[in-house]
Amino acid sequence: MISIKALHKSYGSTRVLEGIDLEVNSGEVVCLIGPSGSGKSTLLRCINGLETYEGGDILVSSERVDRHARSIHTIRTEVGMVFQRFNLFPHRTALQNVMEGPVYVKKESPTAARAHAVELMEKVGLGHRLDAYPDQLSGGQQQRVAIARALAMRPKAILFDEPTSALDPELVGEVLGVMRTLAKEGMTMVVVTHEMAFAREVSDKVCFLYGGKIVEAGVPQDVFGRPAHPRTQDFLRRLLNSSEPQA
Amino acid sequence: MFLQNALDFLPVLLEGAVVTVKVTALSFILSSVIGLVFALMMVSNSKLIARTGYTLVNIIRGLPIIVQLFYIYFVLPDFGIQLSAFQAGVIGLGIAYSAYQAENFRAGIQAVQQGQIEAAESIGMRGAMIMRRVVLPQAFKIALPPYGNTLVMMLKDSSLVSTITVAEMTRAGQLIASSTFENMTVYTLVALLYLALSLPLSYGLRRLEARLGTRNTA
Repeated sequence: MISIKALHKSYGSTRVLEGIDLEVNSGEVVCLIGPSGSGKSTLLRCINGLETYEGGDILVSSERVDRHARSIHTIRTEVGMVFQRFNLFPHRTALQNVMEGPVYVKKESPTAARAHAVELMEKVGLGHRLDAYPDQLSGGQQQRVAIARALAMRPKAILFDEPTSALDPELVGEVLGVMRTLAKEGMTMVVVTHEMAFAREVSDKVCFLYGGKIVEAGVPQDVFGRPAHPRTQDFLRRLLNSSEPQA
Repeated sequence: MFLQNALDFLPVLLEGAVVTVKVTALSFILSSVIGLVFALMMVSNSKLIARTGYTLVNIIRGLPIIVQLFYIYFVLPDFGIQLSAFQAGVIGLGIAYSAYQAENFRAGIQAVQQGQIEAAESIGMRGAMIMRRVVLPQAFKIALPPYGNTLVMMLKDSSLVSTITVAEMTRAGQLIASSTFENMTVYTLVALLYLALSLPLSYGLRRLEARLGTRNTA
């Protein structure tokens, strides 16, 4: 579904990604973990063309991702994105946020789009807040609307860029709950996260990034249980020593 | 004495006030349209278009409004473009103010958070649609205070079209004053009438800002 080969990216002279190889199969949940600055968010943003890259290839459903090609718009309708800071449209209600893509990008009939949007809002537990504006919702609620907005496009995969990092601790659970449901339903997901308990429970594959490289990848039991690389061991030890809330 | 004179002068001045309102409203609309075009040029990804936009705005901003009015009213006829004083006034004021409107809009557009554009891109939207459905509605709210300020300034600066014989309020006042020598009465009335227009306008704009302001930013 998503195939990344020898991906290189720099900002000026700073090399951010140095040869990333990653396969994400349909229905898989892949979590990207690692210290800040390791390149995990950048990697995610390259997948739907929010960033350019200089070397290597990213293929989504066999189509090469190129920020400047016409095909990028089609790829983006197939690969949803959920942002750390939600990025809901503040001038539209929750329901309008969810309907925006289907109605204006996919040209679905407003009636059908609305019905689907209501269904999705109920799915994320916000069927009672359809007409609320983003600033009337809590962070957790906003992020759930953002997930519904991504789902409304009927994507083949969704990218999550630290979806709970901007949330108050007590609101993290409701967002992870929705993501857990999606994972169980077989949605293809690539998740950049610091929620290790979630990554361990939900992922099919965990990739540990350090210095723009995937230094360790595997099933969560291995990466968390028997980390092979000293960087991974060090990173996980630090996380366990800090007061990481158990999600 | 003042009251008697005031009652005599008022009908003429009110006629002028109507023209003032018309000139202001029409040139405000015109300046908004041209200003928006300039703003969109200035934020364009094409360097050439952006630079053209900035250059045009700088030229317009660098010329005194009166000179622009004189040029349109007195010089354009030499090129076969004959405009009435009213038309020339509206067009001249509209163009002169489009430079300030462009800056208002540009600032508003650039203040919209990058995350909003990314969110729009992530659901497959393209440039023009992102601008229309995501950026401009938010930019307008951000730009509303300077936009309203521009409207109040235009109301006052519409008096400049008196220099090309448009019979708006200031011109009407001048005509009465020069024939009656009742300068104090006339110009006090003119000043009061301008305030009667601009103060409610300012108040209304504040109300509008307060109403829209809550959903200002992401």
